Amino acid sequence: MSASEAEVLAGIAAVARAHVGFQGELRPELRLVEDLELDSLKMLSLALEVENHFRVCLDQEAAIETVGDLVAAIREARDA
Amino acid sequence: MPEPRTLDALLQRAAGFPDTGLRLLDRFERESWLPWPEIHDRARAAAGRIRGTGVAPGERVALVYPTGVGFFDAFFGSLLAGAVPVPLYPPVRLGRLAEYSARTAAMLEAVGARLVLADPGVRRLLGEAVERARPALGCRSLDELDAGPPFQAAVDERALALIQFSSGTTVEPKPVALSQRAVLAQARILNGLWPPRADGVDSGVSWLPLYHDMGLIGCVLPALERPGTLTLIPPELFVARPAVWLRTISRLRATLSPAPNFAYSLCVAKVRDEELAGVDLSCWRVALNGAEPVAPRVLRAFCERFARWGFRAEALTPVYGLSEATLAVTFSELGRGFTSRRFDREPLAAAAEAREQPDGIELVSVGRPLPGFSLEIRDPAGRALAPGRVGRVLVRGPSLMDGYLGRPEATAEALRDGWLDTGDLGFLHGGELFLTGRAKDVLILRGRCHAPSEVEHAVDAVDGVRTGCAVAVSHLPEGAAGEELVLLLEARSELPAADYPALGAAASRAVRTATGLAPDRVAVLAPGSLPRTSSGKLRRQEALRRWLADELRPPAPVTPIRLAGAVVRSSLAMARSRRARGRG
Repeated sequence: MSASEAEVLAGIAAVARAHVGFQGELRPELRLVEDLELDSLKMLSLALEVENHFRVCLDQEAAIETVGDLVAAIREARDA
Repeated sequence: MPEPRTLDALLQRAAGFPDTGLRLLDRFERESWLPWPEIHDRARAAAGRIRGTGVAPGERVALVYPTGVGFFDAFFGSLLAGAVPVPLYPPVRLGRLAEYSARTAAMLEAVGARLVLADPGVRRLLGEAVERARPALGCRSLDELDAGPPFQAAVDERALALIQFSSGTTVEPKPVALSQRAVLAQARILNGLWPPRADGVDSGVSWLPLYHDMGLIGCVLPALERPGTLTLIPPELFVARPAVWLRTISRLRATLSPAPNFAYSLCVAKVRDEELAGVDLSCWRVALNGAEPVAPRVLRAFCERFARWGFRAEALTPVYGLSEATLAVTFSELGRGFTSRRFDREPLAAAAEAREQPDGIELVSVGRPLPGFSLEIRDPAGRALAPGRVGRVLVRGPSLMDGYLGRPEATAEALRDGWLDTGDLGFLHGGELFLTGRAKDVLILRGRCHAPSEVEHAVDAVDGVRTGCAVAVSHLPEGAAGEELVLLLEARSELPAADYPALGAAASRAVRTATGLAPDRVAVLAPGSLPRTSSGKLRRQEALRRWLADELRPPAPVTPIRLAGAVVRSSLAMARSRRARGRG
């Protein structure tokens, strides 16, 4: 994992802890709905807070299924 | 100009008031101003484009937009083109696209949508839904349609104004068809409640989604009818930062703002002191609370929490309504604050009688019928009941739906001799309505109705659940902050009781994955525990009643930690029983 990937993952973990009460280790293969056990309200919060944290606008976001997808989407949006 | 009788005529009139309109907040709380004259111009242009696609008068156009100017172009554009707009939810954020597609396809099919108009940003996420439902004119964004001459159709007041869904679901979506006459009647009744005052004009703030009756019909259309000014906050911004709602009310000195019970609860839970620097909520005259059961605990907590920022307890106004009546049916007296009374539990639970009792269950009044509405409490045989007797709530009034679109049997069940059977249970006390529960099978969670079948189908697919033997019900427990989602399911007979907790956890996960709803309680029952009708159908409300009365096995509340504990305990128990068998 490159430094930037690790950094993005750590950022998502911080957001998830602060805003949706997620505890535990965040790994790229975890699925947002099934593994993180977030309901739709928390999912909305996570999306918005992640965007604010990284100052990006996520695209095609409904197709994002895993933490890894989210990391990739954020990195892509930052490079754009 | 004669008094407008249709939404397009209201928009035409509002175009003469350039100081009024909509103020839209983006997700960084930046404002943009959209006066009614501009909305009218844009709508005429959009109508020209929509008409060019070949949509005929009365045909349905589905709209998929986030809160923003695009929604109003498409909504008023469709109306001015003579079509019937059907606002639908935009895609959810992150994950669950498959469920969204199935749900949207079902709703498109239920209304026979000829065209889908969508925000360019969400359009490509609609591919699967559109492929399934195949609207004849496809899914387009407004700006890619050919520009035609601006257009404004002549619309009859008996024509349909819009279609809203009573519950958004993949299984049995019920499209509620509302006439121009009904929608205008509702907007006028609401505006009649807060006439212009000597010390100023009322103005509203809303974060409610525009595909929700309280957002579109309760906020936007009265602002159009007046015409007045309304500020809109994107719903997803509110959910993530509820403080934005309170800050916006304060900054704009707004007087009216509605929300379901859960929003007040979310504010108490999430808003931090430092987010409210300089906030003064004393301007907030009417804080409507509707669309889901009102929890007295939440109202008290909200008053207590925000009194420091000038919130006035007398602003809290519990109301009652349903999409089949366009929106509101009863209102508490304005400026009084909420009223609650305590009633003896037993006769209430048996749906018989309401007797005041000092240490009984606390219920909040939702007030009296709005002007033009009448209300009756009836027994199962349809006879009117005296005040204090519990029965089904029926309403009559000027804004009832025409019916469920394309569903004559469902319409005939709901509408009889001009009366709408709300499917809710309640009683009158001192002339005011108190709700005690539901005769109909519907889940009300976070201000939205869901069909139980949607949740039950998800449970059915879980290995170890007896096929077709799960019920989903929601109710407001005493002292809780909001409605709880309860799953009652039967395990297969070969499943040992030690595996029940793990099965409950699996069912819970399946529901969350399929619907985005998190069950609050799960009870795994032995086969045959759930009550059925003589034809074998599950009786959801009876199952709930028995579960509450402890006549089904009482489940423990589900929290992730408790669940994990239960799973561990259950596997330990299994290991022990294996060892015991090995020794024996």
